[in-house]
Amino acid sequence: MPSAALLVFLQSLDSKSYYDVLRVPRGAGGEAVQVAFHEFALLYHPDRYVGASPEVARLASEIFKRGVEAYRCLSRRANRERYDRALARGRLRAEVSRPSTAPPPPPPPRTLEDIASTPRGKQLALRADRLISAGRLDDARVQLVSACQCEPDNAELSERLQLIYEVLALEPD
Amino acid sequence: MGLAVGIDLGTTNSVVGVVKNGIVATVPDPAGKRLIPSVVSFHPSGTTLVGTPAVGRRLNDAANTIYSVKRLIGRPWDSPQVQQARGTLPFELRQGPGEATMVAARGEVYSLPEISAFVLRQARAIAEAALGEPVERAVITVPANFNDLQRAATKTAGRLAGIEVLRILNEPTAAALAYGASGKQAERIAVYDLGGGTFDVTILDLAGNVFEVLATAGDTALGGDDIDLLLADRMAEELLTKHRFDARAQPAVFTRLRLLAERMKQELSTREDYTLAVDDLVPGDRGTTVTWRFRMTRPELEWASLALVERSFAVCQKAIEASGGSVGDLHRVILVGGATRMPMVARKVEQFFGKAPVVRINPDEVVALGAAIQATLLDRARGASGKVSSPRIAESSVVLPFPHEAPSKLAELALPVVDPKAASPAAPARRPEQGAPAQFLPGVSTRSLVFELPEEPASPSEVELSSMPRVRPPAHTLPGISAEAAPPPPMRPMQQTARYPDVSPADPPPRAPPLLIDVTPLSLGVETVGGFCDVLIDANTSVPCDRTRTFATATDGQTLVHVRVSQGESRLFAENTCLGQVEVANITAGPRGEQKIAVTFEIDADGILNVRARDVATGKETAAHMQLVGGQGAHGDMDAMQARQAAHPLAPLSGAG
Repeated sequence: MPSAALLVFLQSLDSKSYYDVLRVPRGAGGEAVQVAFHEFALLYHPDRYVGASPEVARLASEIFKRGVEAYRCLSRRANRERYDRALARGRLRAEVSRPSTAPPPPPPPRTLEDIASTPRGKQLALRADRLISAGRLDDARVQLVSACQCEPDNAELSERLQLIYEVLALEPD
Repeated sequence: MGLAVGIDLGTTNSVVGVVKNGIVATVPDPAGKRLIPSVVSFHPSGTTLVGTPAVGRRLNDAANTIYSVKRLIGRPWDSPQVQQARGTLPFELRQGPGEATMVAARGEVYSLPEISAFVLRQARAIAEAALGEPVERAVITVPANFNDLQRAATKTAGRLAGIEVLRILNEPTAAALAYGASGKQAERIAVYDLGGGTFDVTILDLAGNVFEVLATAGDTALGGDDIDLLLADRMAEELLTKHRFDARAQPAVFTRLRLLAERMKQELSTREDYTLAVDDLVPGDRGTTVTWRFRMTRPELEWASLALVERSFAVCQKAIEASGGSVGDLHRVILVGGATRMPMVARKVEQFFGKAPVVRINPDEVVALGAAIQATLLDRARGASGKVSSPRIAESSVVLPFPHEAPSKLAELALPVVDPKAASPAAPARRPEQGAPAQFLPGVSTRSLVFELPEEPASPSEVELSSMPRVRPPAHTLPGISAEAAPPPPMRPMQQTARYPDVSPADPPPRAPPLLIDVTPLSLGVETVGGFCDVLIDANTSVPCDRTRTFATATDGQTLVHVRVSQGESRLFAENTCLGQVEVANITAGPRGEQKIAVTFEIDADGILNVRARDVATGKETAAHMQLVGGQGAHGDMDAMQARQAAHPLAPLSGAG
């Protein structure tokens, strides 16, 4: 089955170095890498599969993208030097070298208390936090106005105050 | 099953190209015009005028006549380009849902893809009338430097026009495909594309039948229009000092100045000095008008536009550096775009690149021709469905009767022009299959440069055009430059790679179709703590490509993750173009940091971002949703936008022009 053949090839890439993906020797020069990438592209570029079944097209595309990953690593000197060191330590793919280290974006917005930086500001902000959770927005606004007066340079705090004004549909004076 | 065409959807003009019976050509409208002005005018009668008939409406009905949409498409309301355009355009821009930019005209509000869809519908109608066949699929071109939002919006426009978009193709890449290779040797070329509203430069390596884009760079707000604006400003200045007449006070008058400026610029490309005489613009005593004369010489124009043109070379330098080479590595420089007709542009290009640029194909039409070739390649490959089954036989089974060496033989186009009288004005122009077949008048054509491709297998439904004369035209030359390039640097011999016994790809068949490998023009990144941008995919990476990043939950029991995504080269997220945010939902609740989500960011062959997410622990796909900036207006309500297209019939094509 063709899609099975592609799947086997795609899976085999997991155990190949970038050199083996593009089928070039370790010391291959830039032009040899480029020619190899062109040969790879002629075989697996999605444009060669526009008439194929969605599954075959998807597998070819996955394979092509692995070729691009190898090519952009081997065709740029700095990337390649870094990769060669990683490869010596047994790492086949450069791009999965940072698993889960990327800090997640903070999904719940920071509390006002977090944003405030002075002791007095934090105290007022904490009150505002509690009033917001209690749904008493207007009272929270009063506390936050005071907090902002304590910390006139805290742009984020002012921004949050602005947000409350918007929610309350009040125009700040 | 209809035809596939290439459409160059330009800032000022759009062009349709088609491959028919082995010939690539641009399509004329019934009046013989091949440039369709990208202007849409909503007429009080309820019909929508597009193209040439709409141009005059810019003066009579400026508030309801929309143009230069390409400068704004895919740009959120608060972007500087939109805010600046609000002050200069005579029609009303409005803020739509989700930061979308909308246009208000004749009591309705349209998203920008809707306006472009009208232009595409007109392009389609012109092609159908000229070819006598329905047009269902198209490759649509965009500036190489367009970001994801601009590409996605352009694709939406295509869908709204009832077109299946085979590919969003970069304009310079299309032009390179149209020019093809100059020989069998590998070579490196630069495409310098100065259009009406955008500038792009693309560096490509041509080796065998592979066109690999190495780097591209551009300025999406630099084009011939800027020179027009500059001239119009100068004219307004003179009107004020000489006649105490403030042209800037009335948008319609200033629009007129812009059109006069465009003509002035064009005239000065072929002559040294030009004087405009306008009788009906400047009011005199008691309701009379005063004749206003404005004279300019070519050196004056060149001096005025020098700074704008110079801006393009900083961009060229950037692209050459990104390609990893130097100016000396380039074998050819190709000029694309109407603004390259200015003799100064060609001269400055020659100075910068150190060799005379090539302008063998009409710079206004070359992009549409390249798009038509790509449309045909993709369409035919699709026709070969089923034969493409395994990588081993993929190559040999999709062999198209295109030359291994690219087309080089030029011929004068003889695509027939529909007799204006045959298209009855009483019968509104409909799809050809609904009305009488269009009549062809062989031999009536305006000049256009095309090249021959070997005949595709003839199908019985095709109109017999093979008897049309194919004449070699004179080379298209610009004043002051030669059509011949300077001696190129030594050609690089094509190298053989080491072959491994386990996989033995067959040698590329000699007549395999060309393959384009394009790049993404901008770096793709995600926002990280501190407002920084973490780059996932570098600019100038071949597409399609992808990158997976794993995110851990930040709080206990968190089931939702938001990741903001941007394109641009700054390390600060806020300085790049924010595309929107990816929302990954339905994460299994658990202690913070333990739930991990792998998000894959893919840039497809159209240069458009797709995302998908996977729960690392379970390996299951998780719902990932990409919310684009301005997305609600641009892509959200397809049904409503489609209904609006259906409610606005286009005016029938007329031969009068």
